[in-house]
Amino acid sequence: MRSTLLRFAFYLILFCPTAWAASGASTSNTHEFQLSNGLKLIVREDHRAPTVAHMVWYRAGSIDEVNGRTGVAHVLEHMMFKGTDKVKSGEFSRLVAAVGGRENAFTSRDYTAYFQQVEKSKLDEVMKLEADRMSNLKFDDAEFLKEIQVVMEERRLRTEDNPSSLLYESLMATAYISSPYRYPVVGWMNDLVNMKASDARDWYGSWYKPNNATVVIAGDVDPKIILQAVEKYYGTASARELPERKPQTEPLQKGIKRVQVKAPADSARLAMAWKVPKLQPGALDDNEPYALELLTAVLDGYDNARLNRKLIKQERVVNDIGVGYDMISRGPELFLISASMAKGKTVEQAENSIRKALKELVDNGILESELKRIKVRILSEQIYKRDSIFGQAMEIGSTEMAGFSWRDIDQMLEKMQTITPAQVQAVAKKYLVDEGLTIAVLDPQARQSSSKQGGNHAAK
Amino acid sequence: MQLNKWLKQACLAMVLTAGLLSSAHAILPIEKLESFRGAQAFLVQTKALPMVDIEISIDAGDRYDPVLKSGLATVAGQLMNYGAKSNTGLLSEAQIADEIADLGANLTISVGGERAVMRIRTLSRKDLRDRAVQLASGMLSAPTYDAKILVREKQRMTTALLESETKPESVLERRFRKAVYGDYPLANSPSAQSIANINATDLKQFHKQFYRGDRMIVSIVGDVSKAEATEIVQSLLQKVPQSGSPIAKLPEFNRSPIEPLSQRKINIPFDSQQAHIAMGMTAVTRSNPDYFPLLVGNYILGGGGFVSRLMSEVREKRGLAYSVSSYFAPGKDVGIFQAGLQTKNDQATLALEVLSTTITQFIANGPTQTELDAAKANLMNGYPLRIDNNRKLLDNVSSIAWNNLPLDTMDVWTKQVEAVSLEQVKQAFQKYLAMDRMKIVVLGAVNK
Repeated sequence: MRSTLLRFAFYLILFCPTAWAASGASTSNTHEFQLSNGLKLIVREDHRAPTVAHMVWYRAGSIDEVNGRTGVAHVLEHMMFKGTDKVKSGEFSRLVAAVGGRENAFTSRDYTAYFQQVEKSKLDEVMKLEADRMSNLKFDDAEFLKEIQVVMEERRLRTEDNPSSLLYESLMATAYISSPYRYPVVGWMNDLVNMKASDARDWYGSWYKPNNATVVIAGDVDPKIILQAVEKYYGTASARELPERKPQTEPLQKGIKRVQVKAPADSARLAMAWKVPKLQPGALDDNEPYALELLTAVLDGYDNARLNRKLIKQERVVNDIGVGYDMISRGPELFLISASMAKGKTVEQAENSIRKALKELVDNGILESELKRIKVRILSEQIYKRDSIFGQAMEIGSTEMAGFSWRDIDQMLEKMQTITPAQVQAVAKKYLVDEGLTIAVLDPQARQSSSKQGGNHAAK
Repeated sequence: MQLNKWLKQACLAMVLTAGLLSSAHAILPIEKLESFRGAQAFLVQTKALPMVDIEISIDAGDRYDPVLKSGLATVAGQLMNYGAKSNTGLLSEAQIADEIADLGANLTISVGGERAVMRIRTLSRKDLRDRAVQLASGMLSAPTYDAKILVREKQRMTTALLESETKPESVLERRFRKAVYGDYPLANSPSAQSIANINATDLKQFHKQFYRGDRMIVSIVGDVSKAEATEIVQSLLQKVPQSGSPIAKLPEFNRSPIEPLSQRKINIPFDSQQAHIAMGMTAVTRSNPDYFPLLVGNYILGGGGFVSRLMSEVREKRGLAYSVSSYFAPGKDVGIFQAGLQTKNDQATLALEVLSTTITQFIANGPTQTELDAAKANLMNGYPLRIDNNRKLLDNVSSIAWNNLPLDTMDVWTKQVEAVSLEQVKQAFQKYLAMDRMKIVVLGAVNK
């Protein structure tokens, strides 16, 4: 649905479609242009089917928000469907539907993106609409007051009544002191209650400019013709100086932090998050982010990976376990391990088991065969990814938004294949330490449910 | 490493062909392969990417669960990759997982109401593809069903089940299924007790009875020739028996009866911020001749994303919910209609009223000509998006095969949409849906 909140950013970066080709050949299906108003255009040719994905990415996400107005990036995303000077509220979706299009939008910490997928002859019609709302959005206060209710329902659905989301929200707000990554993308409920139409309009006025946007088009298209159309529709938007983005660098964490969340659930959950480095644009040779990325897969990348095998299958201390890390993003990064408890097991037992498994890896290293297996998977996934043109557009856009070029993807994949077991061991030893650790625990509370009692009046 | 090198070369070749060559974009034909061990098999060849998707549908879904062992079909399906006998001997769960990973393949097993589905995505290079097929073959014909692993997995399922009983959407869904499926076995959901009742002998028995050629369909999409696909089917099913002992007939799937509201409406007190509402009744199967009028009609009522009537009435006009929709879920033998939304507790009564009124009016009056034209335009113009990659093609082939639809279904799909008239939509909705038959489940603090 509209506004999928991408709380965990994508892992698409691993799965490059154009690696290893010589630079001429590898880029021959991808083309980059820049309009005089600063808008960047990237076209990926893929002629397998007569369809096209059209996306516009704005480099404005919850990382750009200020306290008291959290959630405004996402609220504006909703308001983008509420009309322009020429297009009435709701008409955008009707016009996209009329040409058979699929459409949606999503907001993350780093960006807000809008997309349509259409049969290729319909591309101009959706491009015209998308370009129109880049400059001419116009909604009245009444529309805002209705839509903010919808956003609050979205927060109730995805967060208030969802203990895992509540836990994650608390984890982020605890791990970070200064970085805006401490805000939930959907925003705090109280900020939504107090949000004004003018907050959304100010946001739009600040960030929705061609010089803050990247258009990505993938599919059965001719780049020359695409460039003409993009010039025609997006070329009229005027550039404007963007607000200053303060670095808001997170101060160094100096010791373990713990937070507890009580919420209706049956099993306890545990989340352990370590502050770790990420890849910096222009420093693609830094081994550590790649090693951290591979470490996630060594721990949980396949059914017999270390944590799955030891904690779920052998010790049976957790019911499920997951590991996450993104080596590219605009803000600071966490290496996150989260687990739900097995029946009768405590979070202390799970934490001990996780620590034991990490210690074993730090002490004894990993096998060459483990790493090889993961590298093969990365390569084969790269072929599978080509099956979806939408996936290709997503990969290009999210890479660009993190401050990298789609051209860097080749180099990142090459680099990933050169990482050694010793390098993976080294990052585990260096970064998975208590100084930078935040632990969040979900303490389950009983919720009244009818599943064990009456209260209904059904015939059967 | 050989595989590594090959993968790199494959990627380069792929960029050049998939990226630069243009094709005519005709709808790719479905080829029927020779059946083997009683199983039907179908193929769509598409060469642009060096990969192949293989799906095996088995008529072994949850509906065959014995009442006291609800969950049996799911456990029997899910445990196939936790140990199996292959050509090279017994494979442990760890060996299976490592082999899948080493091949760069993906293997998933899911069990639904009607069928169990195994899917394998592998690179099309013969040696890799063969190993993936061998592995799947062992699981399909000789899973180990180790008693110790069963104990662990039952524990995990029970834990997940207890967790789901604290989630509003799961509690609602379970109660709605119970109401709408009535005496049909899909009314039952697993409980901690029914899972506890399942033992390793049950699994072996169930597998022997249901996992046989005459209950399987194989669908293949990707970079293989017809001869290679035939070879895949034969190697996949080499050890699978053609048939077995007769299987008891399932009960009739009876239409939801006319009942007074007090008999049809279920209130579940639940301590959540939002009330969750579901409404629906029995409906049609996929092969029903009225499928297209209902598809087009439901696009207008609640299926068409942001432009449906329900979306407009509930979300756009009143801001009552983030998500609201309706759909038909047509299977091979059974099918239902379901609509639903979530809203904060104090709006539940209003939201239910808007939902009911919108559906009532649609059944009574049908759509307008403008709505019908818009729906057809969307479905017809958007059809290429339903078949534009291997994954989507596999979904289509699989559905055509499972539901016994004609092999030219994809070719005539837009014509069938185009042929739908205003009168057909109205008649079909009036024929299959009726407000005095709708089951309604409302979960939330509103009931406390």
